[in-house]
Formats: sequence, C-alpha cells, structure tokens
Amino acid sequence: MSLSKVNLVIIGHKDHGKSTLIGRLLYDSNAIPEQKLQEVEAELKKAGDEGFRFAFLLDTFEEERRGGLTIDIMQTPFHTQKHLYTIIDCPGHREFIKKMFTGASQADAAVLVVSAKEGIQDQTKQHAFLIRTLGIQQLVVAVNKMDDSNYQEAKFKQICQDLQPILRSLGYTNPPVVPLSALNGENVFKQSRKMPWYKGSSFVETVDEKVTPILPSVDKPLRACVQDVYEIEGKRIVVCKILSGILKEGKIVNLDPSGEKGLVKKIQMFGKDIEKAGPGDSVGLIVNNLEKVRRGEVISYPENRAKVARSFVAEIILFSDIDVRNNDTLIVRHATSENKCRVEKILEKIDPVNLTVAAEFPQVLERGGVGKLLFQSVEPICIEAYSEFPELGRLVVEGRKGPVAAGIVLQIGKEKGDQTW
Amino acid sequence: MAIQSTNAAYLEELEKKSIAIIREANAQFENPAALWSTGKDSTATIWLCKKAFFGKIPFPVIHIDTGCKFPEIYDFRDKLANEWNLNLLVAKNEEAMNKGVSPHKDRFECCTLLKTQALKDLLEKKKFDALILAIRRDEHGIRAKERYYSPRDDNFKWNYEDQPAEMWDLYIKPSEDFSHMRIHPILHWTELNVWQYVQKEKLPVNPLYFANNGKRYRSLGCQPCTVPIPSYAKTIDEIVQELETSKIPERAGRAQDKEKAYMMQKLRSLGYM
Repeated sequence: MSLSKVNLVIIGHKDHGKSTLIGRLLYDSNAIPEQKLQEVEAELKKAGDEGFRFAFLLDTFEEERRGGLTIDIMQTPFHTQKHLYTIIDCPGHREFIKKMFTGASQADAAVLVVSAKEGIQDQTKQHAFLIRTLGIQQLVVAVNKMDDSNYQEAKFKQICQDLQPILRSLGYTNPPVVPLSALNGENVFKQSRKMPWYKGSSFVETVDEKVTPILPSVDKPLRACVQDVYEIEGKRIVVCKILSGILKEGKIVNLDPSGEKGLVKKIQMFGKDIEKAGPGDSVGLIVNNLEKVRRGEVISYPENRAKVARSFVAEIILFSDIDVRNNDTLIVRHATSENKCRVEKILEKIDPVNLTVAAEFPQVLERGGVGKLLFQSVEPICIEAYSEFPELGRLVVEGRKGPVAAGIVLQIGKEKGDQTW
Repeated sequence: MAIQSTNAAYLEELEKKSIAIIREANAQFENPAALWSTGKDSTATIWLCKKAFFGKIPFPVIHIDTGCKFPEIYDFRDKLANEWNLNLLVAKNEEAMNKGVSPHKDRFECCTLLKTQALKDLLEKKKFDALILAIRRDEHGIRAKERYYSPRDDNFKWNYEDQPAEMWDLYIKPSEDFSHMRIHPILHWTELNVWQYVQKEKLPVNPLYFANNGKRYRSLGCQPCTVPIPSYAKTIDEIVQELETSKIPERAGRAQDKEKAYMMQKLRSLGYM
C-alpha cells in the first residue's frame, strides 16, 4: 500500500486548541505507542492532574508542561486511509514566530483552528496572513471548542460569516470550515450526534477529501541549482539539485549568472548513469565547456533560460532579531546562492492583523514586521518570482545565528540599471 | 500502528532529501565529520554519505568507544570500515575509564563522561565544525524537536528554547562563532524506513539485531545498559515484518530513557547526541 504524503501545519490563536486537536488526531488514529500513553498518564497522576490531556503528548519539554505553552514544533505522523500526514504543531505566541515559520515552510496545507467561544482573534488573522505570505494555498478551518458553546449552530454560523471575508481577502476563497470539539472527539474522525444540524463531513474526512500533496513541478521549464563541484578520479562532477522540470542527458544547458553554456554528457548517481532527472533529484553532472561553474549557479535550457536580475521586490517577514532600514545591506540566501543585497527602498509596511498597508515608504521596518521591500543586488543574481518558480523565489535573510527574515519574491527587475520601479 | 508505505519510490524520496542535505553540509562547512555507532541508523547514514560523494567519503567517520560496547560491535566496525574504505577515528575517554566511571555507579555521569566528553575532546583536538548524526524525529519526543541543521555552542549546549528558524530547504551556516553544527540527514525517516532501506540496499547490519534464543536488540547502546526484547526475527525481512505490526517503542530497552523522566532532554542539552 502506498499512501501519498501530506504535510499539515496547524495554526491559530493561543489556547484555541491546536495542540489538543493534534493530540486527538494522533490518539484516535492509534499513532501513539501504548508505552507513551502510560508514561504521560503516570506523569499527570504525579502532577495531580485530573483527566487525560492530549496536548501533553506533544509537549515533551518540562517547561512546556509546566507553563501550558507549546515552545517548539514537532513533526508527528498519522495515517488515514488516504494519506500519510505529518502534522506540524505551531506555537501561537508572538515571540515564537520563527519557530512557526520553520514548521509552516514545510507544509502542503494549513489547518486554521478557531475557538467557537472566543471567535476570531489577532493571531487567527495574523497566522492566516503569514501562511499566505509563505505561499501556502490549501486551507481548512476547524472551529473548535464547540462543546463550550453547547454545540450551537448559531455560534458556528457567526464564525463562518466573520471569517469568509478575511480569508477571501487573502486569496482563500471558500475554504472548508468544520465544527468540532477536539477535547471530546466530536466530529474529528466521525460525524457527531451532538451537531445534527451540520451536514458536512467530519474534520478528517474533509482534510482527506480536500487536501492534496503538492506535486513536483515536472511540466515546468528546467531549473536546477548547483550545490558543489567535485573532482573524482580526474573527472569534474557538477553536483546539483533539480528544482523544476526535467534534465536530460545530451542536452545543452545554460549556467547563470556566469553565462556559461555546455553539453550535459552524463547524469550520474552513485553506481549508475541515468538518462534524466526530475524535481527533487540530487545528481552529479558531467558537462563540457565549463570553467567558472560553482555553487549557486542556476542551470536551465536555452529555450526557457533562467532570468538574471539586479533588483527584485519581495514580501518579507522579519523575525525578532533585526530591524531593517533603507540602505541596509543584507545577505540574502535563495536556492544555493548567497548574495549581498541592499535595501533600495522599503515600499510598504503591512499590518499582519488588520491586513492593510500600515505605511507607505517607511524609513524602517521593525522586527516582527511584514513589508514589501525593493532590493538591489550587488552582483547579478539568478532569481525568479515565487508565483512562477517557488523553489527559486523563496528566500531568507541570513543573520549571525541563522535566518533573521524570510520572504517570497513578487517581481524581478532587469539586469542593468532598471528605472521602471 | 498502521502500515506505512513500503515501496521503493518512497524510500528514494527519503534518500534524495538526505543526500542533498549531506552535500549541502559538505559544501558549507570547512571541516565536517560523521558519527558512526555501527547501529543501523548511522550505518545507513554512512552509506548515504558514500552515495553522496560517489564512493569515497571525503571526511572522517568517528566511532565513540566507551569500552562497554558489545564485542560484536568492534568486529563489525573494523570489517566495514575496511570494506567501505572509511577514514575511521576512534574517540575514547581513557582518563574517565581508568578512573572507573561506570553505569553501575551513575548512568548519567557515565554517558556524559564516556560519550559526550570523549566527543568534546576529539572535537577540541580536530576542530570539526560540522558533525553528521543519524538521529530521527520518531526516536524520542525530545529528538522530534530537532532541526536538520542544529548549532552547538562552545559548551556543546543545545539551546532548544531558542533554536534558529529553518526555512524550506535553505540550510544556513551562521556567521557568528559557534562550536559546531549538528547535521541530521535522516531526521524525517522512521525506524521502519531505516530497516526498509537496509533491506532495499542490502546493507550489512550488526548481528545483535537478529534474534537469538527468542530475544534480539532493537536498539544498540552499551552492553550494560541495553536490554533485548522478545523476538524471533532472524533476518532483515522478518524484522521489517515485525516492525510493521509492533506497538512497542524502539528504545524500550534503553535504560537511560526510562530512568529519569527528562534525562534524555538533559543529556541532549549538554551535548549528548
């Protein structure tokens, strides 16, 4: 039996029940080993806790258990008949944005958990906006804690009404919305008798039906990025990762931004030569005529050549480490390429809660902020709009300890002296 | 436990990602090395390294010898190191061993001195800036929080409260000084996946994994602290089958996990694997 893999990120406001929902999904699908359940029960008895709290299964850190918070993400798998799901639990507090992004960046789809009792809160909107900014297109909404609202239809309808315009403005038109109680297991796996007014499928049935794994971009133009160059037994092997399209033996390829061109004589994996490689493949190439090839170069075919630019506009989310000002020089990493880029202009500061433009042409974008920035790259770079080539259009800004910002490219400019911004 | 997908295409997907990560690490760091316990996970990881570099791993492979290892481990290690042409380095905390440090006195101290300290000493000497390890998320709740690239400071501490973000497939080497980066290429593999891969690639495994008198070792620690589980699986195929239906967690026989509730977490934060 072969199940397709789907990565789900669970988002939503603090205490709306994300961890409880995950715990319920794992528990009811028998994904948790018996010993682990006993361990948690024993711990709870020691702590004097009444009742079994599913969220505890995921909070394996001491501090988390004491504080009731979810500090970091965890990737926990469970199966349905249709898919093998990896669930990424995301912390719902402001300070933990970068941990949330790490999780969300691996997701095929997002589940937005909203408490029926509290309704739409700041992080409900903020998280939806942030995952949209990360390019996630599939969304399912879980209206949780229906038990607290006596399973009333009116409550559910109100939330649906409030949510739809917000999600629509983000580009999520008519996402499925499912009422449930994660704590009591109502309408999670099976339809609930407590909500006879709800005629839709259970939460898991809905996810199974509506969410599909993101398929590799086989039909798109070729883009591959060079990871390294090895010298093995006198031969030079260009090690690269295919990002989109198909690379075939015997074809001529361009390398940019160096501008070199060569013939792919061999495509190699350990122990064998292959005729072609597709998205996700990491292969070694023997290509003639190359002098300058190095890590960071992008490989494409002449008929749809990778673009080389000097400037680009990107929507950036700053983590908590740095502010960004006009004229700052940042180190931008995308694919296998690292480049010094100057902030030519901060075009917009965006309010992630109200989803409006908070300021035009501000001087500074503060830490934790979201904005549209025009970058000028010191050297020509090979970069693409996220909408066309996600793998080449998503980037991070490197800081002292790791990434300090992440974003996606909206538009790219030309190589030389583009004045059209 | 429901059956996971077992087809070769799925394992190839897992493998591709791991190989790409190993190549990234080698490209970005000056002086990498890989840890090898001779267990199935690290043997599979060393094999992935061999594949990544088309046969010859360009950096050292480190075995941490606590002196309490099963004799079968030493035989297996030496034979395979020779066959795979590995640049093998053995790390040993002889000083602590001579002082009589032992798990019978204090298991936590023993792990810390004979494993963690031995590694620290070797790192100090050789100045490795990246270490490839075979840990997986599904092994233990604490490890599930790990990233593919995980920095360690000079005290080998893992700052799990404030880990750097890791976005998409963009693995970053920090510009600030750090002791070394832990690289975890098989983080996304499950125990079953590793055995399926061993089966598919026909990798050699330590005979301790196979049943003997109704027992076998599911996880290989040091001899005094590892307990076998009841099993009749005598071949890799039988192990794969057994795992597809088992509910007992892999590390059920490992004493250090049971002993204190958060010992694993404490050990990791101090630089244990």
